[in-house]
Amino acid sequence: MVDPASFRDPSGFVFRRDGVLYRQVQAFGAADWAAFTSTGLYGRLAADRLIVEHHEASVELAALPDAVAVIRPRVIETISHPYEWSFSQLKEAALLTLELQSRALDVGMRLKDASAYNVQLDAGRPILIDSLSFELAAPTEPWPAYRQFCEHFLAPLALIAHRDPRCGLMLREFIDGIPLDLAARLLPGRTRFNLGISAHIHLHAGAQRRAANEPPPAADTGKRERRISETGQRALLDSLRRTVEGLRWQPSSHWSEYASTTSYSDAATSSKGEIVREMLVTVGGRTAWDVGADTGVYSAIAADAGYNVIAWDQDAASVDAHWRRVRGDGKPAILPLILDLANPSPAIGWALEERASFLERGEPDVILALALVHHLAIGNNVPLPGVARLFARMAPHAIVEFVPKEDPMTRRLLAARRDIFERYTVDGFREAFGGPFRIVREAPVTDSPRTLFLLERR
Amino acid sequence: MPILAYIDPGSGSMLLQVLLAGVLAVPFFFRRVISDGWHRIRGNRDDATRSEGGEDATSDR
Repeated sequence: MVDPASFRDPSGFVFRRDGVLYRQVQAFGAADWAAFTSTGLYGRLAADRLIVEHHEASVELAALPDAVAVIRPRVIETISHPYEWSFSQLKEAALLTLELQSRALDVGMRLKDASAYNVQLDAGRPILIDSLSFELAAPTEPWPAYRQFCEHFLAPLALIAHRDPRCGLMLREFIDGIPLDLAARLLPGRTRFNLGISAHIHLHAGAQRRAANEPPPAADTGKRERRISETGQRALLDSLRRTVEGLRWQPSSHWSEYASTTSYSDAATSSKGEIVREMLVTVGGRTAWDVGADTGVYSAIAADAGYNVIAWDQDAASVDAHWRRVRGDGKPAILPLILDLANPSPAIGWALEERASFLERGEPDVILALALVHHLAIGNNVPLPGVARLFARMAPHAIVEFVPKEDPMTRRLLAARRDIFERYTVDGFREAFGGPFRIVREAPVTDSPRTLFLLERR
Repeated sequence: MPILAYIDPGSGSMLLQVLLAGVLAVPFFFRRVISDGWHRIRGNRDDATRSEGGEDATSDR
């Protein structure tokens, strides 16, 4: 019942008992934990919603010996990982981390690590979930988490802003952040004229290389004590903040213009919207995954129908635009994330258990697969029965839009290739999906060759 | 007090911090002084004592 990702910190760990999530504080971290509350730091952070609140629980509930406290933190329903975040989400998480460090310094403490996995996205904002992140420390000690901050946050943000948004996916491969020497090589040369990137990535990579080439210290030398002034500590933090804030990404991709360039007539659009809404109401669920959500037109319909929505899309620009819009509209029920359904987030990390795969992230009540199956079946050559089987693994209900070959969008996909898709027809769809699902309702979209299906898993 | 870091800080990273902190401290200090002074002149005593301006994570965008 100990969480498979919670094993590196001797100060404590997360575990589940009878389905409830707890965090156990070990004797090793007792002093830091006491200071966290006695300085009022926890209270202020919780009041400002920068950290998840928790309730004190009985120490009797401890999972392992040496516990000094057990707490029950508020659970974030949807866990997402940094490689699924868009630029703006990662940037906000970075700024949160720096703000936390600043506030910790105010009371003689500091963040002991700066991992992006300590942050989750909750109701439209980033929030710290690791209540044991803080430790007592003299402000004249250089920040041990500086390297990790640069690799988890600064490097990917710089690569996305200055190279390509798909660089964010590198975080899936480099689970402890993007190595600075790699980031330095991949960034364009002009980034050397940016003081912050020059210092915290290019110079930083050089410093790491130099240190690696030094011989190991003799056995009897104590650990070297380096010192910086308090002002220097603040200045460094301020420099990181200014560097992160200075990174901006304005994408232009054909996907974000999709909403205005599709082949739909107004009648077709409103018909589709109305049918989707009716189907969502019929399902009567609480959570929905909008797969291939683009900028979230239908996620909004689901949210209005009372659903909590995760809006998955593989296009970083669409996800970022969607995130910025739902934040502005104050629609915390929608969480946009980056994902390619044909190659979704796998389980990664130690023993392949640290970070759960996409399919292990819990089951929504319904998935919306609108304007999607033609991309999977034709664009990706996945036979319809295979698509049906995957959807059935994902949720008990599905609202799927069948986009036939006559539709201009499908014609575009077939334009430059041989049509090998004999069974890609409405009959083929009914047969493929009728296996794992029962077709509850079939509704043609007005003024369009497309058909919407409401499906219930058998 | 020796540094007992929970994660690997990287000796190169620690050394760089000493260097950067030294370089950045002076202009940061003066920026702070000027900013605090400016805010005091304008009568915003609260702003003068907060950490230096710019968006922080709590502001709604």
